[in-house]
Amino acid sequence: MQRIANERVIVQLGLLIVAVALYASTFAQSFSASDLAQSPMFFPRIILTLWIGLSVIALVQAIRKDDRATPIASWTRIGIILVAALAYTNVIGSEGFFLPSVVFALICLPAFGIRNPLLVGLFAILVPGALLLLFNHTLGMPLPTSRFSYLF
Amino acid sequence: MLSSLPEAIGILLSLEGLLVLVLGTVLGIVLGAMPGIGSTVAVAIVLPFTLTMSQAPAIILLLAVYAGSVYGGSIAAILINTPGTPQSAATCLDGYPMAQRGEAGLALGWATVASVVGGLVSAVVLIFAAPQLAAVALEFGPIETFALILLGMTCIVSVSTGSVVKGLTAGMIGIFLSTVGGDPILGEMRFTFGNWQLFAGFNLLAVVIGVFALSEVFMRASVKVSTVSELVAFNGIVLPSWQMWKGRLRNLGKSVAIGNVIGVLPGTGAATAAFISYAEGRRSSPNREGFGKGEPDGIVSSEAANNAVTGGALVPTMALGIPGDAITAVMLATLTLHGITPGPKLVEDNPTLIATIFAGFFVINLLLLPLGMLLSRVAAPILRVREAFMMTAIVILCAVGIYFVRGNPFDLLVMGGAGVVGFLLRRQGVPMAPLVIGMVLGPTLELTLRQGLILKDGNFLAFFSGHPIALVLALAAIGALSLPLIRAMRKGSAA
Repeated sequence: MQRIANERVIVQLGLLIVAVALYASTFAQSFSASDLAQSPMFFPRIILTLWIGLSVIALVQAIRKDDRATPIASWTRIGIILVAALAYTNVIGSEGFFLPSVVFALICLPAFGIRNPLLVGLFAILVPGALLLLFNHTLGMPLPTSRFSYLF
Repeated sequence: MLSSLPEAIGILLSLEGLLVLVLGTVLGIVLGAMPGIGSTVAVAIVLPFTLTMSQAPAIILLLAVYAGSVYGGSIAAILINTPGTPQSAATCLDGYPMAQRGEAGLALGWATVASVVGGLVSAVVLIFAAPQLAAVALEFGPIETFALILLGMTCIVSVSTGSVVKGLTAGMIGIFLSTVGGDPILGEMRFTFGNWQLFAGFNLLAVVIGVFALSEVFMRASVKVSTVSELVAFNGIVLPSWQMWKGRLRNLGKSVAIGNVIGVLPGTGAATAAFISYAEGRRSSPNREGFGKGEPDGIVSSEAANNAVTGGALVPTMALGIPGDAITAVMLATLTLHGITPGPKLVEDNPTLIATIFAGFFVINLLLLPLGMLLSRVAAPILRVREAFMMTAIVILCAVGIYFVRGNPFDLLVMGGAGVVGFLLRRQGVPMAPLVIGMVLGPTLELTLRQGLILKDGNFLAFFSGHPIALVLALAAIGALSLPLIRAMRKGSAA
């Protein structure tokens, strides 16, 4: 059971499902031309067919070989950093650059093992602050600002 | 091209030209010296900031970061036994033992001179080989171009790290991503699923930075925080005297040649060149007994070869539009973003730009000597900076860079998504270079295939009947794909 339910198999299965779903979606769209080379879906279908074929081979290899990905050293750390990075890239547009960057650094540095609050605080304020000063107030190429102030 | 040289020198000697030459080399050396960043991430971080510059300074800045980072990797390799870049891994083998003997300055001196010589020779190779190759490729029509891209992609995939199947899958994902958005012939929308942000396709830069830089941060977060060896005592670079070079010049020449040849081959890269050159040095050097115990020939073999790759890898990138490795794929993406189409016509249509790039690359390699000597003292304390600060800064810089390009928050989402997908794929041993190369070459591959089919009334086999060049290139592509399979089968039967 473990041979089938490991990370490599799951990722390869995911790749296969995505490719099949995308291939199926090519038939759901209608286009003005359906001739071989004229059709907008001609090339993507070739690529998706190859992707599906390769994913099947990779999936069989993953099941047969039973080699595992490098174990994650700390699920908590990678979980925090993944979620923080995704949330960070999501909120910059609406909340501005500075505040999300400070929060991101305050979360990320301790997750990476920096325990000195002074270092964490200084880095979290100085690095985004310096970038904000450089782009918004020196180069005149503004990064997004928050809903609270046009200054940051 | 030579007639454009005075104009090119004028651009390089302008304030902007001088600034990007020096700043780029300095940045490259410092970023390259930081373990965990590497040349690709260094170039990816700097890339968005080049978009406000004009074409020539932007490309020169990236070339300077590229060449500087390859050299900078040797500083960490010698002083803390941790290669700043994968290309410098072989330098550790002799560099660190030499540094432990109290000869850190001299070890860095050997590395600096070997890097400069390797880089300069590769610049000369680039200057002479790229225009010749481009002149041949000028005769190519859509069918030959299609076959050429096919060959380039198969070479890259077949030599990419990990399995061929995984490399090919990454290539297909990259090509597929390039098909999202408007169709190149009819302009009809594909795979946008009603999202207008995807009408222009995925932002190449956001994907590149996501899969290389952001996924690297996730990779680092997923493994144990690495412990590095103690920083050895270091009082600045000591250049080896002429007397010390006696008996070692042959090894230097051989390493430079290996680096150049491997650099020109698509997909191999500097790390492969450094290890092949090191192995050759250990086999043929008169000082081979000392290899692994702090022998200067070991440092020379590795450093001359990895820097010689830089110019070699740019030959197919500039002349044919086919990247030599992941870094040149990023370069290719930059050229495209600057409205330059790399390939045979580039040399003919933009002689001044090409002359500036080539002359600039030569100067960058000359600058490695004084700047390397100056910066190695500064870079040494940077090696003590903890990984946590670097990784956090990388994410923030990537976000700034991506937003800065188009001011579109959607690009940040694409970067985040690409980072997570890149992380998941890299954990399974899927290489990222074919994905980016597929995304860069995908549009031309599609356009030339469809144009060719329209020309030949849909008969694919007719591609090769009246087109001997296309036939040879296609056969070479089949050969490049079957070679690893045959090798794997032989290995299987031997076992």
